[in-house]
Amino acid sequence: MPNLPVLVIGGGPAGLEAARGVADLGYKAVLVEKESVLGGRPILESYAALTPDMRNTEEAMNEMIGRISNNEAVDIRTGATVTAVEGEAPNFKVTLQNGSGAETLDVSSVIVSTGFQHFDPGRETQMYGYYEFDDVITLTDAEKMLKAGKFVRPSTGEAPKRVAFIQCVGSRDRQIGNKWCSKVCCGIASKQASEIRHFVPDAKLFIFYIDLRAYGFWEDELYWKAQEENKVNYIRGIVTEINKRGESVVVKGEDTTMGRPMEIPMDMVILSVGMEPSEGTKDMSKLFNLPLESHGYIATTGGALNTVETTVPGVFIAGAAGGPADLEDSVSMAGAAASRACAFIRKSEMAVA
Amino acid sequence: MSHASNGAPTVITPPKVAERIFKRQGNPEKEDYREQLFELEAKGELEVIRVPEPYVEVETKFGRKKKIPLEHTWHHKSCGQCGHIPGYPTSIFWLHRQFGFDYFDPKDQTSCTAWNYYASSTSNPPAQASIAVRNFSQAHVDGYFPFIHCGTSYGHYKETRDQIIHFPKLREQVRRIMDRLNMPFAFPEEIVHYSEWLHVMRDRIAERKVLDLSNVTVSVHPACHYHKLIPEDAIYNDDIYNGQRTSVVTGIAQALGAKVADYSNWHDCCGFGFSHILVNRDFSRSFAAIRKIERMKEEANPDLVLAHDTGCLTTLDKSQFATRAHNRKVGIPVMSDVQFAALAMGAHPYKVCQLHWHGVDNKPLLEKMGIDHEKAWAEFEEQAEKIKSGETQFMTWEEADA
Repeated sequence: MPNLPVLVIGGGPAGLEAARGVADLGYKAVLVEKESVLGGRPILESYAALTPDMRNTEEAMNEMIGRISNNEAVDIRTGATVTAVEGEAPNFKVTLQNGSGAETLDVSSVIVSTGFQHFDPGRETQMYGYYEFDDVITLTDAEKMLKAGKFVRPSTGEAPKRVAFIQCVGSRDRQIGNKWCSKVCCGIASKQASEIRHFVPDAKLFIFYIDLRAYGFWEDELYWKAQEENKVNYIRGIVTEINKRGESVVVKGEDTTMGRPMEIPMDMVILSVGMEPSEGTKDMSKLFNLPLESHGYIATTGGALNTVETTVPGVFIAGAAGGPADLEDSVSMAGAAASRACAFIRKSEMAVA
Repeated sequence: MSHASNGAPTVITPPKVAERIFKRQGNPEKEDYREQLFELEAKGELEVIRVPEPYVEVETKFGRKKKIPLEHTWHHKSCGQCGHIPGYPTSIFWLHRQFGFDYFDPKDQTSCTAWNYYASSTSNPPAQASIAVRNFSQAHVDGYFPFIHCGTSYGHYKETRDQIIHFPKLREQVRRIMDRLNMPFAFPEEIVHYSEWLHVMRDRIAERKVLDLSNVTVSVHPACHYHKLIPEDAIYNDDIYNGQRTSVVTGIAQALGAKVADYSNWHDCCGFGFSHILVNRDFSRSFAAIRKIERMKEEANPDLVLAHDTGCLTTLDKSQFATRAHNRKVGIPVMSDVQFAALAMGAHPYKVCQLHWHGVDNKPLLEKMGIDHEKAWAEFEEQAEKIKSGETQFMTWEEADA
């Protein structure tokens, strides 16, 4: 067993899988998470069920956490942040800051899995009124309600009769510089619409979209299921404004299929907020001198054929730190990053021998 | 399907609006036109006209700071205002004079020609850009900073700025024209609309108000040219609409103590529609009356509509005359934010604000505001008689305040 561990930064799905991968390959890992709990966004944001297979989030995350929490090869540090780094691979010296102070660790390589943050709808170029109207909420707000097992209008506490999702909030918006599709929102909106149907059987459900992007099996598992089984209305057209009229929130925009403006009163509107690089991702890119690609995520060296290697030897990324990523992307990248990190150590050892 | 517990479900509702705190994250990952202008200046392509001191820095939509000059301003007037809402520019000048601010009212300013561009498409990018640059360069030569009265000009100039920044060939064409005019190629650091100045002045104006406006309800119409074209350049305040809508117009109305009532078509165009008013007037009239005025009346029942653009004011006000003949539920006075502010500070309703040019009967509103319109009208007629008889050629500022 080599002396110097792999430092995994971020305890979300990618970080958990990366730490497990490193341990399974016979190396040590130190997993650092700034929050007091592991699980990343799915736990912190109280996701109800994971897209696309509808697994209970806590159950699925606990399973991932369980694989490393009793593993002697993985040293888990929650409530800690990486604040400084010296040297270069395979002999990095990193400083960890936690509640009791700072400590220095020697690590051989690093996997940055600091993920994303949800787009703040207050920065939207459209006028959606998230900070003005109680009944305009985000995907993450909706997840919390779904997790609690009851879906109601925030303003009245009553079951909504008409619910609309608006796609691409903060994604595909060149006005604000977010020139990317966040990949998951269409699937999550479809998933949530199906879940809402379960809680509010009589509701009219709408999803307003620019292009509906249900990748791979999501087409069948989420999109058609929502449409055929759960009677969700998909309307091609971007909504530009939401305002209040009496007790309703009025959704205004253009139905591009019909080629005409539309104005539809709703009880609730759910904004499908996209992904942006998290503060942690930005911080770690600065700390480790990792160049960002043009969209602001951490750049990798090999394009589509190498999604985890950065320009700094011995530093790898996994998950949404490198760009919008769904769970499958994140976990797959984590496996690749773990194998690359271990291969890097192995090569370093062989070079010394 | 995921369920939280096996017992009775716990209701978790999202935080109410009062608990949702919006914090701007600073600049978005996109171009900053100011940096680009300074880069072009560094290359010797143009001269950037600096915002003169004193100025106030305000937050724009995404958190960039915008400098709004208080004085030393070159007043780029509006064709539509000077033509048929003359109390609009005079209210702007009157307020500047009340505060003792240095300003310049040029006689060699041209129209921005945006209406021509919108309605008939007879213009072209080099002509449009050259007209903008000639006006700006004239301001620079005169030693003042451009200050745009018209929302259409303001929006159009912002788009022109974008074209000038991004198209070297266009810059070359403009440069040749400016060379022939023997003028510099100058462009302002900021494109400033008068309503932004009014916004940053709102507390100082409120300090000097002479009317109690607490019983006056206004509904606000924001100009598309102001907040939808190049939206990142519009002013937003965290304490007005929670930072989610532009704060100009609403800010001054609130500062003056009036009640601002919301309505569901706030974001909608007034009906002017850039070109509709010129090429599809029936649509404009119907839209203004049915989508805006009637909706305001139904949902907010205001005493007054406040707007901050020539076209909006004209469309919202004058469209009510025709639609009233069809028994539509119209009849709300319309004026600009700056006329309202001037009235609040004691400007004469007819000599300065020239409210007799407006279409909808505003006498009940003036009574509610505590203005004796009969006395004011007699004073105005007396002044008009002096001009009619040849005793004087025009009304002076001193006579306007007499």
